[in-house]
Amino acid sequence: MTDMHSNDGPYLSVEDLVVHFPTADGIVKATDGLSFTLGRGKTIGVVGESGSGKSVSSSAILGLHRGSSAQVSGRIVLGGTDLLMLSDEEMRLRRGKEVSMIFQDPLSAMHPYYTVGNQIAEAYLVHNDVSKKAARARTLEMLERVGIPQPDRRIDDYPHQFSGGMRQRAMIAMGLINDPGLIIADEPTTALDVTVQAQILDLLQDLQREFNSAIIIITHDLGVVAEMADDVLVMYAGRAVEYGPTKDVLTHPQMPYTWGLLSSVPDVQGDTNAALIPIPGNPPSLLNPPTGCAFHPRCVHRSKVPADLCTTTLPELLPGSQGPGHTKRCHLADPDELYRTEILPEIMPDLIVED
Amino acid sequence: MAISKKPFAALAVAALATTLVACGGSDGDNGGGSKSEGTAGGNAIFYNGVRNTEHWDPQRMYIGRDLNNSGRLFYRSLVAYPASNDPVKGTTPIPDLATDTGTSEEAGKVWKFTVRDDVKWEDGKAITCEDFAYGASRNFATDVIIGGPANYLFTYLDIPTGKDGLPEYKGPFKKTGQDLFDKAVSCDGNTITYKMKKPWPDFPQSIASLRYLDPYRADLDKGDASNFQIISNGPYKLDGKWTEGTGGKFVRNTNWDAKTDTIRKALPDTWQFKEGDTEETIYEQFLAKTGDANFGVTERRMPPTFYSRIAEAGKLYTKVESPFVDYVLPNFNSPVFKDIKCREALKFATDKTAWINAGGGERAFTPAYSAVNPSVPGYEKNAAFGDIPDNGDIEQAKAALAECSAPKPVKIKFTYSGGTPTSDKQASALKAAWDKAGFKTELDPLADTYYSVIQKPDADFDVTWGGWGADWPSIGTVIPPLFDSRINITPSSNGNDYGNYKGGPEVDAMIDAAYAETDLTKAASLWAGVDAKLGEDVAYIPLEITIFNFLHGSKITGYSNNVSTNGYADLATIGVTK
Amino acid sequence: MVAYIIRRLIAGVVLLVVMSIVTFALFFASPIDPAQFACGKNCSPAMKAQTAASMGYDDNFFAQWGKFAKGVFVGRDFPDDPKLKITAPETIAHCAAPCLGYSKERTSTVTDLIKQTMPVSLSIAVVAFAFWIIGGVLLGVIAALKRGTLIDRGLVGLSLVLYAFPTFFIGLLLLKFVAIQWNWVPVPEYTPIAEGGITGWLSSLLLPAITLAVFFMAGYVRMTRAFVLESLSEDYVRTARAKGLPKRTVTFKHALRAALTPIVTMAGLDFAGLMGGAIITESVFNYPGLGKLAVAANTDFDLPTLVGLVILLASFVIIANIIVDVLYAVIDPRVRLS
Repeated sequence: MTDMHSNDGPYLSVEDLVVHFPTADGIVKATDGLSFTLGRGKTIGVVGESGSGKSVSSSAILGLHRGSSAQVSGRIVLGGTDLLMLSDEEMRLRRGKEVSMIFQDPLSAMHPYYTVGNQIAEAYLVHNDVSKKAARARTLEMLERVGIPQPDRRIDDYPHQFSGGMRQRAMIAMGLINDPGLIIADEPTTALDVTVQAQILDLLQDLQREFNSAIIIITHDLGVVAEMADDVLVMYAGRAVEYGPTKDVLTHPQMPYTWGLLSSVPDVQGDTNAALIPIPGNPPSLLNPPTGCAFHPRCVHRSKVPADLCTTTLPELLPGSQGPGHTKRCHLADPDELYRTEILPEIMPDLIVED
Repeated sequence: MAISKKPFAALAVAALATTLVACGGSDGDNGGGSKSEGTAGGNAIFYNGVRNTEHWDPQRMYIGRDLNNSGRLFYRSLVAYPASNDPVKGTTPIPDLATDTGTSEEAGKVWKFTVRDDVKWEDGKAITCEDFAYGASRNFATDVIIGGPANYLFTYLDIPTGKDGLPEYKGPFKKTGQDLFDKAVSCDGNTITYKMKKPWPDFPQSIASLRYLDPYRADLDKGDASNFQIISNGPYKLDGKWTEGTGGKFVRNTNWDAKTDTIRKALPDTWQFKEGDTEETIYEQFLAKTGDANFGVTERRMPPTFYSRIAEAGKLYTKVESPFVDYVLPNFNSPVFKDIKCREALKFATDKTAWINAGGGERAFTPAYSAVNPSVPGYEKNAAFGDIPDNGDIEQAKAALAECSAPKPVKIKFTYSGGTPTSDKQASALKAAWDKAGFKTELDPLADTYYSVIQKPDADFDVTWGGWGADWPSIGTVIPPLFDSRINITPSSNGNDYGNYKGGPEVDAMIDAAYAETDLTKAASLWAGVDAKLGEDVAYIPLEITIFNFLHGSKITGYSNNVSTNGYADLATIGVTK
Repeated sequence: MVAYIIRRLIAGVVLLVVMSIVTFALFFASPIDPAQFACGKNCSPAMKAQTAASMGYDDNFFAQWGKFAKGVFVGRDFPDDPKLKITAPETIAHCAAPCLGYSKERTSTVTDLIKQTMPVSLSIAVVAFAFWIIGGVLLGVIAALKRGTLIDRGLVGLSLVLYAFPTFFIGLLLLKFVAIQWNWVPVPEYTPIAEGGITGWLSSLLLPAITLAVFFMAGYVRMTRAFVLESLSEDYVRTARAKGLPKRTVTFKHALRAALTPIVTMAGLDFAGLMGGAIITESVFNYPGLGKLAVAANTDFDLPTLVGLVILLASFVIIANIIVDVLYAVIDPRVRLS
């Protein structure tokens, strides 16, 4: 290891990340003060509804907002370098090489007019001074590695000629072709069949082990998080509302929004008694977010908080009953008790006994 | 875009008319324009504008502009008009290819002309009497030689008419009835003889005004395919071929001998004919005094939008009264206007001034008091219209309308050639005046279909519009074509008698008497009598005479709008300076 | 692919047959009598009947169309008069197959008229096309890439203004000032390559081509801008950026490639339409092309010429459609022609 910063701290450290979009109607606060860390070989799951700011935050890490009107502040330290301090060109050279992204819906994320092989090789050629032939060989190798059958034949196919799962494998090959230290996977399995989903997640885990990469996996599927992530970060209205080790958060969620997410996950284990309870209401406007706790208009437990605290004061992200590694943004005094007595019996009747 | 949507109207307006008096008290031999003598040499341009030449075949030509221009540059006739703006001199034929102006026998039923023996075609062959006979014979091939004024010969030439309503001679292509023609038109050495069914006192005028009796070369005749072929016997010949829509170039014809020709000065070395330019383009160029247009003349009239710039044009501007008259016609088949009192009410109610003002004012029109143009010999102000004020007589109109048998208010439908803002404005002006007198007028503008509709005898209009110019200086080419029901009205069409007027035995007899009069002065007054009768019957209500406003290029010399060329530029005298 | 093209061609021919019938039908439905017009102003009913017969307008609708259709395959003689063929064969015009008819009004076969006028229209179309594609697409791309800046707003504003001006107005303006008033260029007059060489030909086409191009260019600037902006927001463009590709590659290889595909389609069809004659431009500048011919034929009720032009124009559009579809398949691998 020659990376002098590698042992100094976490591989990735995001501190107080803010992404604002000025529009004619006002400022859209897509991400507002997000912080988290991620080590090499580790995975963090970022969970939230659409519009909660999870994709915006990951795009900011990749520097994709550069050249647009977005205002980005805070610090994104990757391997000791603050990415926000880099010039556009320096950032471009890191994009796809040190940080790469695997997009949701690979059909639209791949160019319809170029062959799969061409598009993957392009990612290699831009960061490596090699011949086209060498790039093609490397592409073949990657296609084989991600499990594309007969890669020498499929390399010249167009994206529309691939099945959904194969396209996602190709996307992964494209993302990993330069051995990046950080991979951001944005809903990598959303568009896929359930069986294919599992294969893709397995593949990602295999590759992570092989390359020792850090992965940010963006999803709204807690099942994916449970399988993949070491840590989980729940986002709501541009802010982290709960953040901690995956097991801890899933077993002892501290925030009514997380409860809502848990209850709206269909139980893959096949418990037909489990009630599928959607979160009432709509995601908040990022232009005019609700006062106080952004979740309060949808929170059924608001009445359990004294005074008008929920509507007037934004709760801090603070450790709860589960120790300093597990923080939450909620005014509820004893969320553990509430969860155990009111929520769990409804959503996972079988689990109560074990608990 | 100045694209004519009114082909029939355009035909009527551009139709040949002959004599014409220049406006503004112009006297002497020249009409408006430069009096300077031209010098030989240079290239002159004639702008045909957006109205393409349809035929250069002499037997098919029927448009005043083309008849004039070809007669001045490359087609000669037995007799022609001298280049003059004198109302008498300019309308009196003089010898051209013939040795004299012709001699008539049997009270105008036989005409003889002798062809000069020193005149040649462009290829050097002598012009013979047989060429004239052949040219005349082509008129009878109306299945091939379409569109010309052949009907005059059908009426007069001594060839029997068959059951199909056409002469029994079918022309030189099919040769059916050739012997009939050879008896009517014959050659004796250089002398050609035309035999008529009835007297034709103004036959030489018809030869000088039209080209249908020009000579033609049998050996070069390809029938319809000869439409744009020009076999010149005048000072210029076509260089290369004529392209419809583009034009052609004329160069000097070395086989033309100036000594044989007193009419054509032939000053420029070449004449370029250009087709397709809009009036706006032509007039902008004249005004800008730049480029080739400096050497150009045109028959296209100045668009009204240019009136305000006339002062800018200075000496390049000329103005003449046109040989045409516009009028409205009550429909004698309509339930309202069967009644003379209703027609009189319409006559008194008609406001010429409003119509003229709506159409562009006194720059564009001058009031008319007869369907006959004042330039035609024998013209008299029609008594029926002359005393009514130009803006109508509302009291007399109301009085006449009170006696009109139609149910009140008298609803009438005015069908006119519309489709342009000006024509609609003019129609509205007429309607306003008629309605003031007590009519209730419905306006019915028609564009392309106008003539097809009003020529139907059972059409349901009450009033319509028409315009006409004489084919040669005789009222005989105005009144009979418009009002003689015997030649116009058939079960399916009213011909040019759009008002379906039937004069009956009295008027028919007057027309026949005027035709038969061999003394042209006496004939003219007989025709004026027919016109007076038409006025009494209110067969028509005259509106106005169009004014021609022209510009020409700044390097044009010898420009004049002569009566001998219907008020258009006379190409016989035009030259260019360097 | 070949089977597809053949099928499209057959459909095109059927369409042409239908269009020729419709044109005939419209002509027949009109109350205008072309024989009356051809016969002139001093025309007796007997002469008119004879004129109608000699022009072939005395037959019924189906017989006339039948003769026309037959002529396309075997040619025709005009006039088709057996007696005249014996007594004066030199007066018979033969119109060889594929005969689109014979215009009595213009004393020419329709095929010859088209041969005469088409080079003019084609020349204007080609030069105008070059102007508007190069100008319109380039400026549209610039506007999209400089989105929101003064350049963008200026270009969009200008194209809106130009788009609002009618073609004839721009044409008259150019003609009046550039050619006539200021005399910067001579009043344009069509010069074939054979006469003036490439330079003479090109300079003669300058003003008409600009007139026509300005109008189309204005539209293409706006269209290109919209397509490029749309394409720039596509997911695959984001992917390209995420790969670390330089901006140039992202813009030109990824964004523009997709944005230009619909423009190819539009351009192909617009060009085909123009080949049929730019009526207004040709009229303003007095260029003897197909458009002017169409106007003239319409003014004097010249059915054969009108039918010929309708069929010609329709074939252009049909062929252009097929070419555009094939081209689309070449550009976009997702499109399979089957």
